[in-house]
Amino acid sequence: MGAKLNSVKLGKLNKPGKRTATRREWRGFKDTMYDFGRWLHNLMVMAKFIMKPTTLKAAFTYRWFSNYMAAFDYIDRHIEGVRGPQLRIAHIEYDSIVEHLTQTMDTLFKCDKRIGNKKGKYDELNKKLVLMDENGMMVLATGFPNLKFLSKEIPAIYTGSTVAQDGVLHYIEAAEEFQIPSDVCPMPCAELGCAIEEDYPICGACAVHCNTTCDGSLMGNQIEDRHDHIPSFTMAAPMRHQQKSVLAYSRDQIVEAIHFIEEHTGEKWDWNAFAKNMKTYNAQNVEFEQWMEINKTPYPQVVGNNIMLYRDAEYMVISGRDATFLKFDRQITALAKEGYKNKVMAAKEIRHRALVWGVHAQYYTAFNQWLANCWGVVTLCDMLSFTLTKPINYEDHEQALLDMGEYNMNMIMRNHSNGGYEVGVEQLWQYCEEYHADMVLMYEHIGCKSMAGYHGLIEEEGRKRGIHIVWVYHALMNPTKASRKDMRNDVNRYMKTVLREEPLDPTLVDFDDTVRW
Amino acid sequence: MRDLKHIYYFEKLLENSYNDLIGEAQEQGRKAIGHVCYQIPEPLLNLPGIFSVRLRAPRTTSTEMGNYYLTPIFCEACRAILERALEGGFDFLDGIIAPEACAMMNRCVENIEHLNCCTKPHFFASYVDVPMKSDETTLRHYVLQMKEHVLKPLSEHLGIDTSDAAIRKAVAEQNEVSAVLTEIGDYRKDEQPRITGYEFAVLCLASYCCPKDLILPKLKETAEELKTRVPEPKGAYRCRVAMVGSEIDDPQLIKLAEECGLIVVADRYCFGSLPGRQVIELNDEEDALTQVCRYYMTSGQCPRFLNTKKVQERHAYVDQICKDYHADGIIIEQIKFCDYWGYGRAFMNAVMQHEYGYHVLSIDRPYNVGQSGQLRTRIQAFIEAVEIKNIQKEKGE
Repeated sequence: MGAKLNSVKLGKLNKPGKRTATRREWRGFKDTMYDFGRWLHNLMVMAKFIMKPTTLKAAFTYRWFSNYMAAFDYIDRHIEGVRGPQLRIAHIEYDSIVEHLTQTMDTLFKCDKRIGNKKGKYDELNKKLVLMDENGMMVLATGFPNLKFLSKEIPAIYTGSTVAQDGVLHYIEAAEEFQIPSDVCPMPCAELGCAIEEDYPICGACAVHCNTTCDGSLMGNQIEDRHDHIPSFTMAAPMRHQQKSVLAYSRDQIVEAIHFIEEHTGEKWDWNAFAKNMKTYNAQNVEFEQWMEINKTPYPQVVGNNIMLYRDAEYMVISGRDATFLKFDRQITALAKEGYKNKVMAAKEIRHRALVWGVHAQYYTAFNQWLANCWGVVTLCDMLSFTLTKPINYEDHEQALLDMGEYNMNMIMRNHSNGGYEVGVEQLWQYCEEYHADMVLMYEHIGCKSMAGYHGLIEEEGRKRGIHIVWVYHALMNPTKASRKDMRNDVNRYMKTVLREEPLDPTLVDFDDTVRW
Repeated sequence: MRDLKHIYYFEKLLENSYNDLIGEAQEQGRKAIGHVCYQIPEPLLNLPGIFSVRLRAPRTTSTEMGNYYLTPIFCEACRAILERALEGGFDFLDGIIAPEACAMMNRCVENIEHLNCCTKPHFFASYVDVPMKSDETTLRHYVLQMKEHVLKPLSEHLGIDTSDAAIRKAVAEQNEVSAVLTEIGDYRKDEQPRITGYEFAVLCLASYCCPKDLILPKLKETAEELKTRVPEPKGAYRCRVAMVGSEIDDPQLIKLAEECGLIVVADRYCFGSLPGRQVIELNDEEDALTQVCRYYMTSGQCPRFLNTKKVQERHAYVDQICKDYHADGIIIEQIKFCDYWGYGRAFMNAVMQHEYGYHVLSIDRPYNVGQSGQLRTRIQAFIEAVEIKNIQKEKGE
């Protein structure tokens, strides 16, 4: 076995009925050693985290915590079959996410009245903690350097369901017992279930909710709010964000949110801190634009999984507050440029240049990697990662508020799932043209009604333009409705019957990973 | 009770999306504006020269085309409306003004527009961002949105007068209808109501689907008739309920419920009268548009309003109408696949039972209830449960 792409028959590493792969992949000496080194690094980070008394206590307090036993498998799944610069890019990204998440959880557990703060030890820290909705825009946090902004849903639900595919099923069931219909989006449903089960850390001085990303999310927040028992503010982002007339309102909401936080934490908005963080944030967006420029060429480098989850974390959660991420971004850009210069292929064969539209399955975020390994379909970017990259003004304060208002309406997902036909359908074809994509992986998330409303229109328009639209059905966080295998079968059918192609790796066409994390 | 003199007339008006009164108004040269949500204030769609028609798809059977374009997990009402549009059922419309309130209804209208279901050359669709909160900041946004995406297109596409005076005239006209319907609806507060929930639902719904001035005479006659109508004797109804929830644009659901032995005394659902058919009081100090917007923002009871105060107010409002109309219980209903009421129903069910102490039946239902045996059984069981609990209460158990 050598280091070449597709040199390992990856399907054989999956053993039916097992939580993990049978063994690690041999990527050639250099890449395997690099991968092992990163594995050791992550082991150290997690060992350091788990040794803390607050973490140990949390492990026995919260059901969702057990999902993180799968953290290593999670990284392995996302780097299956990856070599060279893509492997290094992936590790920079995933390892930074792991580290950041441990820090997030550490703060949550310290402030938690059930754990670290039971006897008031971390009261001062807790008074400086603002709970932000998972879909909230963290740019709001950049002007409060002395406060901690965290989302309790991210470690409990969002990441948990990505790390372990069945990680949040219990919470979905809890919400359904409360009579939430089973047809709604599983994400807010699981988040609500966790609240109903009282399984979130009890902490925070105040909370900021938002109305995004969808109707279900908006509704779930209303009920969740009752379980928080802390003052809350709802930052309403206008839905029709393409219309100029909504910007003033969005700006006003930012101002009101700032006042609310000031009132409940005693801190004042700091324009200097905001400017410092925005310099980082704007620079990060410039780096991202460079990756996308490379992806428009025949040698795309930052592709598939290497965009999606990292972009989520960096753009929406970090939002310029941690300059280390800019350092990571620059490393990624350097690797991508080098890969492009050396004409490194992101897959053994790039048979199809694809864009991903709709919402990805949380329980199968590694799907993009499978597409490349099995069928040579390289995903160049996805709907969630197509975000605003225009610089946020930090010198003119009024303009800064307007920019924040615009960003708030255009955060991840909502910028395409909300806003109307222009951004939900038409923009897809513009991207296809820019990225020279001949295929769209169209996720049909069973609970996402926003995107479902464009089903027929996308199909008809795609047909007119000669773009392959491959529909992949999933249920976001609930693999019992459409399993990973079902998702693969949607693609397999299309590739075999419509395109009459043969797989690059036949062992990946049909394998059983129902039980795998 | 004897049948109301004009009930058949009103029922006929509801048999199709297009009815005789719409035809009559269009012959007079007035334009028909389709609307789909309470959050676009009705008076703005009933300015001189135009009239509003709330979109619905009566007598829907299959929604196969709707399923294709919107997928089968989509709100059934939206699929039915799109199906009707694709069949040409809304070709009479001169425009549609839709809010981005629920994403599904918005997508439905976008499909109607992009699939060219309405073929009049001057046809237009306008989309409006409407409030999710109720406060003065939001009001400014609401007013601006109405100016930009309701009044402006009406003026540009159809040459409609959107002045303050025109808005006041439209409000006055709607107030006339609302006053009559309030008078009629208030009979439901009586111990022995002289109008059934079904009859009231027919009258109320007709007021959303027909030009208001053309329906007013018959409504007035009905109000007059009701003054002397002899109610059913005591004991005719086994319990009184408030119907709460998502859009009901087919009174057959109310009829089905009442056939089981109850009477629907309050209608807190979309297309109902609570809120929606109250008189809007305007003063002369402030412009009419702002006042109208404030009225719709503060009176709106849609689960989409998400600030905590408004959420609490929503439940308190149901409690208040239950008290005013002496309801023994509440039926909270939801059209299948509705996200807002999917959550709203579960939430309200818990709050009204455990915090307010009401008997609650929580149901999700198809758009077209027809003669659903399943629903009938559930409602019958609910009535029995209420009766048993009332007996136990009387015995002090």
